[in-house]
Formats: sequence, structure tokens, C-alpha cells
Amino acid sequence: MDRIEPASLAGVDTSARDALRSDTDEIDLIPVRTFWQLARQRFMQHRLAVIALFVLAILLVMATVIPLATGIQYRLSDLRLINDGPSLTAPLGYDEVGTNIFIRLAKGTQSSLIIGGAAVLIIVGIGTFVGAISGYAGGWIDNVLMRMVDVVLSLPVLFIILMIVSFFGVGDIRVVIIAIGITGWTLAARLIRAEFLTLREADFVQAARALGAGHRRIILRHILPSAMAPLVVAAALGVADSVVTEAALSFLGYGISPPDASLGNMLNKVRIYFFSAPERILYPSVVLVLIVLCASFLGDGIRDALDPRQRIASK
Amino acid sequence: MAAYVFRRTLQAIPILFGVAVIVFMIVQLAPGSPIDRFRTPRVSPAQLEALTRLYGLDQPILDQFVKWITAFVQVWRRDAWGYSTLDGQPVLASVLERVPATLRLMGLSLLVTIVVAVPIGVLAAVKQYSWTDKIITTLATIGYAIPSFILGIYVLYFGGVVLKMFPLFGMESLGRGGGDIFDLAWHLVLPVTSLAIQQIAGWARYMRSSMLEVLHQDYVRTAKAKGLPRARVLGKHALRNALIPIVTLLGLSIPALLAGAAITEFIFSYPGLGQYFVQAVGVRDYPVVLALTMVGGLTVVLGNLLADVLYGVVDPRIKY
Amino acid sequence: MTNAVDAGDVGLLELRDLKTHFFTQDGTVRAVDGVTFEIRDGQTLGVVGESGCGKSITAMSVLRLIERPGRIIGGEVLLRGKNVLNYSDQEMRDVRGNQISMIFQEPMTSLNPVYTCGDQIAEAVELHEAISRREAWGRAIEMLAQVGIPEPARRAKQYPHQMSGGMRQRVMIAMALSTNPELLIADEPTTALDVTIQAQILELMKALRERNKMAIMLITHDLGVVAEMADEVVVMYSGKVFERADALTIFEQPHNPYTRGLLASIPRLGDKRERLEVIRGVVPNPLNLPTGCLFKRRCPYAMPVCDTPPPVRQVKAGHISRCWLTPESEPPSIGADAPPEVAEAAAQELTVAGR
Repeated sequence: MDRIEPASLAGVDTSARDALRSDTDEIDLIPVRTFWQLARQRFMQHRLAVIALFVLAILLVMATVIPLATGIQYRLSDLRLINDGPSLTAPLGYDEVGTNIFIRLAKGTQSSLIIGGAAVLIIVGIGTFVGAISGYAGGWIDNVLMRMVDVVLSLPVLFIILMIVSFFGVGDIRVVIIAIGITGWTLAARLIRAEFLTLREADFVQAARALGAGHRRIILRHILPSAMAPLVVAAALGVADSVVTEAALSFLGYGISPPDASLGNMLNKVRIYFFSAPERILYPSVVLVLIVLCASFLGDGIRDALDPRQRIASK
Repeated sequence: MAAYVFRRTLQAIPILFGVAVIVFMIVQLAPGSPIDRFRTPRVSPAQLEALTRLYGLDQPILDQFVKWITAFVQVWRRDAWGYSTLDGQPVLASVLERVPATLRLMGLSLLVTIVVAVPIGVLAAVKQYSWTDKIITTLATIGYAIPSFILGIYVLYFGGVVLKMFPLFGMESLGRGGGDIFDLAWHLVLPVTSLAIQQIAGWARYMRSSMLEVLHQDYVRTAKAKGLPRARVLGKHALRNALIPIVTLLGLSIPALLAGAAITEFIFSYPGLGQYFVQAVGVRDYPVVLALTMVGGLTVVLGNLLADVLYGVVDPRIKY
Repeated sequence: MTNAVDAGDVGLLELRDLKTHFFTQDGTVRAVDGVTFEIRDGQTLGVVGESGCGKSITAMSVLRLIERPGRIIGGEVLLRGKNVLNYSDQEMRDVRGNQISMIFQEPMTSLNPVYTCGDQIAEAVELHEAISRREAWGRAIEMLAQVGIPEPARRAKQYPHQMSGGMRQRVMIAMALSTNPELLIADEPTTALDVTIQAQILELMKALRERNKMAIMLITHDLGVVAEMADEVVVMYSGKVFERADALTIFEQPHNPYTRGLLASIPRLGDKRERLEVIRGVVPNPLNLPTGCLFKRRCPYAMPVCDTPPPVRQVKAGHISRCWLTPESEPPSIGADAPPEVAEAAAQELTVAGR
């Protein structure tokens, strides 16, 4: 090999730089996408979450359409149809009081979802309120609010809910929702607080403050939108928890009582079913487990989708 | 150490006080009054008036609270927790009578949970991505999603109805005294199983992720580089560290365990505190409901206390 | 494969064409790709290179500590002539911590936080030597004294978190040396430490090397440490050995352009240059290595022939270099007497090699 002349060094230099530039070109090839486009893409990669969304959508449609189409049939009993087998209009047969089990199941799913959704609104509402103020204000306000959270966390939750429901009106769906909501907000509050604690020092918040934005505006317009991810996770977990708690309450006889339909009270006569119709235990259980599983998968999927640090797998 | 436990116990008192305030407020806010059950046409207004005064319901709310709470802490007095409005028995005695049953149920479930979940979680972590791991993770996810009362129903169905091996209800067979340990154990199998399954699912998942994190730590590599056998690396160096965060679960799982126990006792007609509560709350037996809710709060607070203290024991980095 | 082994000299450790690859979701990373070198008894071999060049993976491969998705897919690791890659797990464990010990970069995290330092040292001793727990503990204290830890009996009962970083690295060294290994692999032993502590630890290693007559494989990106310690130096780049020679030759008459670049990037006292020379560009993406010479994109001497993989040439006895430049071609230094435009171009690149 010949000795390399210094003159050729300059030429090599640019080729090396070209090589570098071609590296950057590769990066530029990735099309620019908005945050929501990226989030959707990340979500679609989460196979379980997509399936969960699909299943939940089916449940939601059934819980809306069937009760609408069948009116009050879910509470009508027909003595001639007691324990009747499956048929085209009653795919799951009739129960021990002669009610169409399929329609009851759809109506029960409806109550579960309504209660889950409504309770989660309270949970997220209180949680965000307490968490945001606590994290944003800090100091003694934070201290007081967090001790409050400690107290609520130390409550034997099921006992308290049973107490509220029993004292304020057994079978009243509003009482059930409130009871579940006001005992379940601690996780949401903690997550939001943690988010606010970090975000209130963030540059964009400082900038907003420097521009003279008020606390209200900073909290609502600047920090809260950035704290969405934990909020969504808390909401998904909250829905699952609320649905289960309602079902348990109704099962114990303190939630929704027959003839109103609930996934929980469909299991009231479980000891009879053991010997006569064990499959009737299965129907509401499966729906319940599906709701819980789907809610948690959906929560995982949305959390990952909203987390910009999650990368998108290249094709 | 002792000083820390003492200080930590002192910190628990205001929390318990807060629990008491909330519980008392719920009762106060509830429509109706504890003497409503005496309100029949044959009871004169004067008698009702007398009852109101007897129970102290005519006094200001604050006075009522102070009176209740000061009486409540005097647990050495037979009537500290009042008398059941249902059967007139002293509540404290009735509660204490049922404590062992619930403690057995919860304690055994926790024991089973730890004994089963820790090895399962470790196994899944050590064999990450293998079929063993996938099966364990999937089962744990599903198990965690099944509500505890559904689990209870199925465990009862399979153990009691399909297999016909275990009793369908109760804590002991009729006609046999409390002395027959085998009989007691036989009755506990299903309730403990149903209460433990969901806990196992949660603990196993937690154990897996804790172990996975530890396995990537530098000191595990050091242990391997020393030439330690794999079992020793995993069992001594990794596991010991992976168990540290698990200790916190102990405290965190108490509320769920308590709720699960109540529902399990209801399903299995098991005469413990949970079943007692479900009965009492239905007939508005205020003294019993108040007492049991406070006992529940105390259990949760004690659970957290225990977890905190244990944390210090297992992690030498924690200074008191 | 060129081999600079003197005939008849039985090496303590010899790596032959060692290949350790990582099979990730995004593709195969050839972390170690055909590494060959040897260490003789009592010798200190410096293995240098930038982060990600595969030097740590090489060390881990010697002890077979590679974890999924990594795998040793080829080559030989000959320990006293026997290939440890064929050893059973039991045989391998007898090597680890006994014949070959290893210390790591992060003294803060390399000791188990829940056991006392004495415990962790005694554990290794007890494992490899048929002695009682009590004797092992005695050895642990003795070792702590040897590595210059005051009040060793008291310190042995302390947990790692009760010690400083330098102390912990001393504990690591005590642990590694407690079984009198023939070879100590030190993976960036001083990188995480303060400069004054660094010097102390290096002095300690030197002293112990003399006393125990052991060989050291010193992995570092710090050429200063190499200059201080090493008899022979291996320069690695992107999983391959680029140059190997005795320490003096590497510092005085380096052949490979990469080695030259590394040396030029060391700041020197009394340096008249206004800007520090740096190797322009970055280490190539391991998932997307260039064809031909791996260094060509950053090499100031790159030429058309570099598009084909360069040969490993013997520059002189015991000195090899992976480059198309022939031993005779004495390339111009890119140091002080480089053409001004080269120095200028290099200075404009912001990326600094190594650290």
C-alpha cells in the first residue's frame, strides 16, 4: 500500500461527512406525526388492548341495544316459563321466577357499566381535585390533604360502603354510585399529585407563570392535559373496581335488589343453582371477569399509548 | 428499633382518629335514628323521648362523639363498645368471640398466599419468556381479574358440590365442639382456598416483577462471578433483595384481605367478623357496625405498621 | 489468524476468534466478533476502546457470564490450554471467583446491599476452599486489611451502604483476591471513582499484583490508566481487535489510525494546541455496521480499499494492527503536525471520543 498523501485527506474528510449525513437522512425519512397519531399507533400495537376494546364495545352495544329493544322484560316473570330451556328468544333460558336470563344479563351488564362509569367520574373528579391542589400547592395544604388520603386508605372500604348503602338506602343506584365513588379516589389523587409535583416545576409551567397566568389557568390549561396518562390508568382501574364492588354489594343483598337487574344479584340464589342449574352461575361471572380484564388491558394500552417514551416498533 | 415502633404507633393514632370521625359522621348523616326500630304504635312519644335521652341522642353531636370515642377506647370494660341493639349482648364480647375464626381464615390465607405466590413468581421471573412464565403470567392475570366472591362461589361449587369432599358451610360440624382440629381444618380448606387465590395472583405478579428487577442488578452478576451455584445466586442473593418490596404488599393487601374475608365468610356461612358485620349492617345494629368498622380500620393500620417495621428488618439500608 | 504468541510459551488465558453476539428484536449485534489475544502469567493486559466496543462483553464471555439475548457463538477461551466454553456448569463455577476473579465498574451497586461485606467475602472463600465458616471470616478480615481498610474486623460487619465508593471497590478487590486467583479481570475498576481515589485503587492493584503474582486483564477507556498499569495493550473497536502491542509501542509508535485517534484525544499538560484532537463522528450503530473497515467513516486515512475488510497485519514482532496501511507506510500523525484543515475539520465535529 502506498503512503497516503496528505492532499487526499481533505477528500476523505467530506466522504466521512457524507456518511454522517446519510445517517441523519435515515432519521428524516420517518414521517412527522402528531402526538395523537403516534398514540393511536402505539395503542394499535398493544394487541390485548385492541381486543379488550373490541370486547368492551360488544358488551356496551349489547347492554344498550337489548334493554332498549325489550323494555321492562328483564323484570317480568312468567310462571309458565319457570326454568324453561333455551330458545331463540331466550338463548340462555328462563330462571326460577320465569324471567328471560339473556335479557336480564344484558340489563345487568347495563347497570354494571352505568355504575362503573358514574362511580369512576366521582373517583376521577375527587382524585383530580385533591391531587391537583395537593401537588400544585405543596406545603401544609399538601400535608393536610395527604393525611386525609392516609385516613381514607385506612378505611375498611367494603365495610364503609356497606354501611353507607345500608343506612342511606338499599337498592338505590345513586347511593351505590356515591358510596363507591367517595371511598375509591385515593389512588387517582396520589397519581395526579405525583404528576403535578413534577410538572409544576416544568419549564412550560414556569413560562406560563412568567406570562402572568393565574393558578387556575395554569392548573387547568397547562398541567392537567399533561397529566392525562396516570388519570386514564386510574380511571380504567376505577371502572373495574367499581363494577366488582357493585356486583359484590348486590350479591350480598345491599346493592341492586331484584326485580332490578345486576350481575351481582343474579347470583343471589347461588346455593340453589349449585344443584339445579350451575350454568347460571357462569353467565354473570363471565361478563364480570370480561369487564375487569378488558378494563385493565385497556388501561395498560392507553397508558403505553400516551407515554411518549414508548417507542414504536419498526416494521 | 423499639423507639421506631413506638413513634410509628403514635403516628397511627391520628389516622385511627380520622377513621373514627368518618365512621361517626356516616352514622350521623344517615337518615333515621337508632331508636326508629322502637317506633311502633304501641310506644308512646314519651317513651321514645326517654330512649333518646337514654342513648344520649339529645346531646350535641360533638358530645356524642367524645362520649362514644372515650368509651370505645376503654376496652378493659365489658360495655366499652356498647350493647347490640339486636340481641342485647355486649358488643366487645361478641366481637372477641368471633376474632379467632376470622384471624384463622385471614392468617392461613396469607400464609398459603406467601408459600405459593413467592415460588411461583420467582419461577416465572427466572424462566422469563418461557412457556412456564407465560402460563403463570396468564393465569395470574386472569386470577387477579376474577372478583373474590365469584371465586368463592366456584371454589364452593367444585369443592363442595362437584367433588363432594368438603362441607358446604360453617366453621365446624354440628354437634362437635371447638376442640376437633381436623374438623375445623376441614371446614377451612375451601374458604382459605378461595380467599388465597386472588391474593396469590396479585402477589405472584408482584413477586415476578420484583425478582426480574433484581436479576438485572450488578450484585447478582457479582455473585455469579464469584462462582456461586445458580441456586445460591437466586435463592440467597437475588431472592433476599426481591422480597424487600414484597413486604410492603403485606400492609397493602390487608384491606383487600379484610373485604375478601367478609365476602368469603358470607358465602361459606362462616361465623367470623365479616359475616357478623353483614348481618349487623342489614338490621342497623349501630354499635356492632361502629365497632366492627373500627376494628377493620385498626387492622388496616396495624397491617401497615407491621409492614413498615418488617421493611426495616429485611432492608439493612433503612435507618430508624 | 496472525498470532503473536512466542512459541513454547504456555499462555494463562488465550482467546481465539471469540464471537459473542446479541440476538435482539431489532437484529443481531456482533458485540464481540472474532477477538484473539492472550494473557501470560503475571502480565497486565490493558483492553481499551470507546464505550460499546465490546471490551466488557469480552471479559464477561471469558467467565461465561453472558445472558440472553447474548450468546457466545464461536471461538475458544483457553485457560491453561483448556477451552472453558466446553466446561460443565460445575467446572465453570470452579473457575469463577477461584482461578479467575472479576471486579466491576460500579462499586456502589456491585455489592449485595442486604449482606455484610465480611459475609460476601467469606462466602467466596468458603465456596472455593474447604475451610470452616469461622476461618473464612478470618480470611475476610485479613483480606480487608490487605486492601488497606482500617479496622477491618469492624468493617467486615458493616453493610455496603455504610461505606464510600472507594471503600466498596476495595471490598470488591478483597473479595476478588480472597481466593488467590491467577487472573483478575478488572472491568473499569476506577471509572466511577473520584480522581484521588482512582490513584489509590490503582496503586493498590499494583501492589497486590506484585504480592500475589497474578495476571490482570484491565478493561478501561482511560488511556492514562493503561499507561500506568499495562504491560501489553489490546485496542478494540466495534467488537474487533484493531491493534495489539506492548504498552510502550502503543504509546510511542501506534500503527492503527484508530489508536492514533485515541491517543490524540488525550489532553496533555503544556499542550500548545488550541483545540483537543477528537475522533470525528460516532461509533457506528452496531445494528448497521459499515461494510469493509468498521472505522472507515471516521478515519482520516480512509481510502477506496477500506470498503473491503482490512487484514490483520504484523507490524513487527508482537505488534499487530487491523488496517490496510502497511507496516512500512508511516502515516502522518494527526497530532500537532497535521495539516491545519484536518485539525480544523476535526475540531468542528462536536462528538468527543470516549469520555
